[in-house]
Order: sequence, then C-alpha cells, then structure tokens
Amino acid sequence: MIEASLQLPATVESRGYARDITGRVMRRWGARIGAAWIVCLVLLAVFAPFLATSHPLLMKSAGKWSSPVLQSLGPSDVILQAAFWMALILWPMRLSVKTKVIAWLAVLIVTAIPSINSLHPPQLFVYQHYRDAVRSGKIEQVVFAPVPFSPQDHLRDQEDMRLQPPEHVHWMGTTDNSADLLSNMIHATRIAISIGFISTGIAAVIGVVLGGLMGYYGGWIDLLGMRVAEIFDSIPTLLLLLCFVAIYPPNLYIMMAIIGATSWVGYAYFVRGEFLSLRDRDFVHAARAAGIPLPSIIFRHMLLNGLTPVIVTASFGVASAILMESTISFLGIGLTDESSWGALLEEALGGGGTFYWWIALYPGLAIFLTVFAYNLIGESLRDALDPKLGRMM
Amino acid sequence: MNKPLLEIRGLTVAFDTERGSAPIRPVQDVSLSIFPGQTVALVGESGSGKSVTALSVLRLVPSPPGRTLSGEIMLEGTDICRMSEKQLQHMRGKDIAMIFQEPMTSLNPVYTVGDQILEAITLHQKVSFREARKIAAEAMAAVGIADPEERLKTYPHQLSGGMRQRVMIAMALSCKPKLLIADEPTTALDVTIQAQILELLRRLQRETGMAILLITHDLGVVAENADVVAVMYAGRIVEFAGVEELFDHPLHPYTRGLFAAVPRLGQASARLEAIPGTVPNPANFPAGCRFHPRCALTQQIAAESADAVQVNTDHILAMVARPCVQQEPQLRQVSPGHWVSCHFADHYAAAAASPPSLEHRREVVVESLAAREVDA
Repeated sequence: MIEASLQLPATVESRGYARDITGRVMRRWGARIGAAWIVCLVLLAVFAPFLATSHPLLMKSAGKWSSPVLQSLGPSDVILQAAFWMALILWPMRLSVKTKVIAWLAVLIVTAIPSINSLHPPQLFVYQHYRDAVRSGKIEQVVFAPVPFSPQDHLRDQEDMRLQPPEHVHWMGTTDNSADLLSNMIHATRIAISIGFISTGIAAVIGVVLGGLMGYYGGWIDLLGMRVAEIFDSIPTLLLLLCFVAIYPPNLYIMMAIIGATSWVGYAYFVRGEFLSLRDRDFVHAARAAGIPLPSIIFRHMLLNGLTPVIVTASFGVASAILMESTISFLGIGLTDESSWGALLEEALGGGGTFYWWIALYPGLAIFLTVFAYNLIGESLRDALDPKLGRMM
Repeated sequence: MNKPLLEIRGLTVAFDTERGSAPIRPVQDVSLSIFPGQTVALVGESGSGKSVTALSVLRLVPSPPGRTLSGEIMLEGTDICRMSEKQLQHMRGKDIAMIFQEPMTSLNPVYTVGDQILEAITLHQKVSFREARKIAAEAMAAVGIADPEERLKTYPHQLSGGMRQRVMIAMALSCKPKLLIADEPTTALDVTIQAQILELLRRLQRETGMAILLITHDLGVVAENADVVAVMYAGRIVEFAGVEELFDHPLHPYTRGLFAAVPRLGQASARLEAIPGTVPNPANFPAGCRFHPRCALTQQIAAESADAVQVNTDHILAMVARPCVQQEPQLRQVSPGHWVSCHFADHYAAAAASPPSLEHRREVVVESLAAREVDA
C-alpha cells in the first residue's frame, strides 16, 4: 500500500547535469554564435589539407584517375582525420562516456602507429608541376580544391604575385613571398585550436590536482601549495616564452607546455576554494562512511561538484592562450615552418613603413573573432552555472 | 551469540582548540555494547556528544582537530582505534554502515542513484557488474522503491526526501552490514514519512538481523524502535537501561526532565515543561556532576530539607549538592540491567560501578536470529 504511493510519475525525464547546463548555455545567442564559430574552425582545421591545397583532389593522367592530395598527407593529417571521424561515429552511440573515450583513444593509437611509421610525404613539393601539367595537357581532367593553393606554394610559375591585394583568384590576397593568404589562414586554424586546448588542458590538470589536494587536506599542504602557486603566479609568461625562444629553436609543444605551466594558478585557487567548502558537505561524509577510498572521493565525488569554475576559467584560458601564441608569432619569434595568424599579422608591415591592409585585416579578424567566441561561451557558461542567476534565463 | 558485536570501552574523544587552551572533550569515558540484532538508542540534546560517539565508531571524527584520547572500540575482537587506513576503508560500509540526518544533501548530486549504489557494492563485494546491478535493484526493492531498475537511473534531485532516505538506506544495506548507525534518520522528514522509514528499518532488521545504533532526540522514536537506551548528557552516558525499564522508571533527573518535556495528548497546559538552562559548552563543563547546575532533584531535596528545619535554602542547597559539585558520579548498576550515574539515585551507593552491557532485545529479533543460526 505504501509502496504503491511511492511510484514517481513516469514522465520524469532523466536528464543529466551536464546536459542541463549545455542546454542552458546554448539558449543564449552569444554562446550559439561562439560555438558555431568554434565548430567552423575545427572543421577548417580538420579538413585544411583538402580545402586549401595545390594538389588536385582528383586528376586523370594518362587515362588513369589518381588523387595526389591523398599522397601528400602526413601522419598528423591522417591521425586528425581518424580522430574526427571516430568522434563523429561514437558521439550518438549509447555508451558510457568512459567507454567512448577509451574506444576513441584506442582508434587514435591504432592509426597513429602505422601512419607515423609508413607515411613519409616528400618534404618539398614542386607545386607548379600540376599547373604546368594541366596547361600542357598531360593531365586530362582535374578537380582542384576550393582554394587551389598550398600555404607553402610560392607561385614560382607566375609573374610577380607578391603582395597582391584580394582579387578573384586570391580571395584574401597574397603575402610577402607570393603565398595565398586564405590558404595560410585555413592551415593556421590548427595551431590556433591546438595551442588553446592543449595549453589550457595542461594548466587545468595541474591546477585541479594541486588545488584539490590543497583544499581537501588544508593545513601545511595548503600553505606549501599556496606559496608554490604564488611563485608561479609571479612568473611573466611572455618573458619566459621570449627567453625560451631566444635560447632554443621555437617548438609548438614546448610553447604549449610553458603557457600551461604558468597559467594553472587560477585553476588551483578556484578548485581549492570549492574543495574547502565541499569537504564538509554531507555527501562527502557519506562517501567516507561508505568506505570509498580517498582518491575516488577527491577526484570523483568532489571534483565533479567543484568543476564549474574550472570550466568557466578554461574557456577564457583558451582565448588567452591563443592571444599569447599570436603575440609571440607577431614578435617574429614564433614557429617558422608553420603558418599561424600571429605570424601572418607580422607580415602586414613591410619594409620602409608600407602597410598591407589585407594581411592585417584577415588574420587580425580571425584572432579577434576566435577570442571573442571563447569569451562569449565562457560568459554564457558562467551565467548558466551561477546558482544565483539560476533559472532566470 | 552472547558476545557483543561492538563494544565501546571508556571512549574519550578530544578536540584540540586554539593554541594555549586545553583540548575540549565532547565525549568522556563512554562505554557501550551492542549485540547482534539489537537496537541501541543514543538519546540526548544537541551537543551531548552522541554524534561524535557514532562518528568515532567509524573513525570519521575529523582529525585534526579531533583525536581519540583513550578507550577502545572493539568490533568482533578487533580494535577500530588501531586499524590502518586500509582496514578502516574495508570496514566502513561493509561491517558498519551509516545513514545520515539529511537525505537531501547526503547523495552526490552529479551521479545517478544507481552509480552511487553500484560504487559501494563493487567496492566491498567481488561481483561482476551485472551481479552488482542485480544486488542494487534488490536493495532498492527491499526498501520499498517501486520499479527499482528504472529508479537506479534517476538523479537525486528527482527524488523526494523520503525516497532519498530510502536510497541511502538501500545503499547502506547493499553490503549487508552487521551494524547500521542511523544518525537522526528521520529528523529531516515529515511525520508520515518518518513512520514509514522507521517501520522500514524495523522490518529490515527483522530480515537481516543487523544491529542498529540509533541516534535521536525523539523519545517517541526511541519507544518504538529501541531495545536499549543510553541517555547522554554533556559527553557522558548518564543512564542506560532496557527501553521498558527506562520508560517505567527513569532514575536520572535529566532523563526525568526529558520525559516531563514530552507534551501529552489530552493535557492542556499553557507552557511546555522544559529543563531549565542549556547544555554546557564542552570547553567548560561544570565540575562534579555535569548536570548539577540544571538539576531539579538537588533543588527539590534542598527545598524539602529547608522546610523541615526552617533555615536558609541556599545554605541547605550547598550542603545537599556538595557531592554533585565536587564529585563526578560513576555509572552504577542500581537494578538488574539499569545503570545510572547520579548521587541521589535509589540504591546508588550500594551498587557496583561497571560499564553497561545489556542483552535485552525484542522477541521477534531473537527468533529471526535463531532461525538464521539454524540455517547456518
């Protein structure tokens, strides 16, 4: 009799916290636009070798069809493709998040090993070779990419193409060494995306672990951790990066590591504060009373409850990491062999005080829009996660 | 069968305070034993040390500042106070489980109910995921939750308070603990749900034969559920007896005060009876008997003596209450199965001081235990 009255209405929708928050964030136009922009960038980054390349996508030569673009792919391109398609396949599947991540990583490793071992695309392409062949009729039929220029294609076969303003062939004009600006911009999204995510990821992991331990244990661990955090807080990231590139050759991964290692302090402060209040909550006591081991209590039960400020900080952190990389590249000490928005921006100023507006406008706009998009998402997240604003939106 | 499941002997818990001042002792020299299948109630006002006692049993008193100064807590022959962190983890949840006062906040809001029960099960029992799911669903069904498989997928915020407390109980019982510590399990629930939860605990106890340490300040709950009652005041047990004995002959003036404070049906009174004063701060407990500043008994005796000899009441009070002020009373067995610590309890002087132990339990429980033994 009692049991019967306990039946809940069948319509109660089992909706997770994460999905609830995502829904609330995406109700805002700012966040939608920001997310759309980021999705565009991700798509551009993944498909850059097919969107902007001098290699024909398909061509018919001596009666045989072939795809030169596929032969030009390097290991990183193949791994990126595998990662993207696997994520797309796994996303709608009814599996737990853990299984999905494991499956995804497994596929990544499986594709990474053979592609790194066997794929060795030539270091130097002679891009005009294709155009010459088309002109001379050696290639009978051909399908070029939407932007038929590779970022390193200096258009040696054509008369002076240096620093052309935008026109119908080169939609965004050309750079100092005749390369197509749009093609460079598309390929540069990879650096913009990866430096943001990876350096923020490094910072968040360090910050969460240290902040969590500080907040949970308190006492002298807290004291020591806070002093270490203050020391790191006082290191200027830009100067450290400058020192580094002055001594060693520029390296993207080291740059990510440096940005990550100096910007974790904010995360640590936030997580520490959250944990200080979480550790006295009833469900933490209940978890301890149930004999759940300490690492599981800290990183499973408490962390997920204290993660909200981390997510918000991270979305702003991604933006600032992108800015940081652009700054370094703009100063001319960034990566030399790969295009990045900051490095392109630097070329806008020619010798003798000349200014090429298109080289300043487009990369500058890209940086601005990306940072703006992350900030829009971050702001929307902050509002959605703020219990005081709660359901008002 | 005659061995206690849990035996607390002379437990004193201290909390370190600011540097310079002496540590406070919210629990002082508490002895208690719990037999299998028995329900022992710890009764007392807020701040009397009942929750700290319960937390000490699980070694969950936050440390620092808390520490066990002296005493031992024997769980089937092993001292919990000497267990390593690993042994403790193994013991918590498996041998002794605990349910808390606030079902609204005792479940982790970001995991489904099923995730949380399954975590506890897979932690303490070597079972496959599928079996664990089955155990979880059975536990949910045992606490009277309809459609348990579906309910495992819900989040805590989708459940009412009573349902959440049922889930907490299901989680605690999924590993078949020998002792369940229930820290005011019904305080936060409304009265009809309280009755359901208490009934549920009784039924589960009959079925599994576990012991329950019930912490409460509700004498109605005590009367209905407990076999044995320990009344705590200011960190000490002041009276310990079987439930009928205690309700028929409360001896300690504090216990009597508690009973007097219960409002009665059919008796209209302008004011509720109350024990004057408040529970003393553990930082400065009164010397001697900790209850003496609030004790009605000493004042009453003093008043009676004063009537007889016609002298200053205050002077008589000082004389009468001298042992109360100077000497801390010991728990003494004044009648079979009834311990009390009060200088003025009947037969108190003649009784021998001893830690309380009482094998008083309800007939039903004894029967179910006997049946289990036959099975074994």
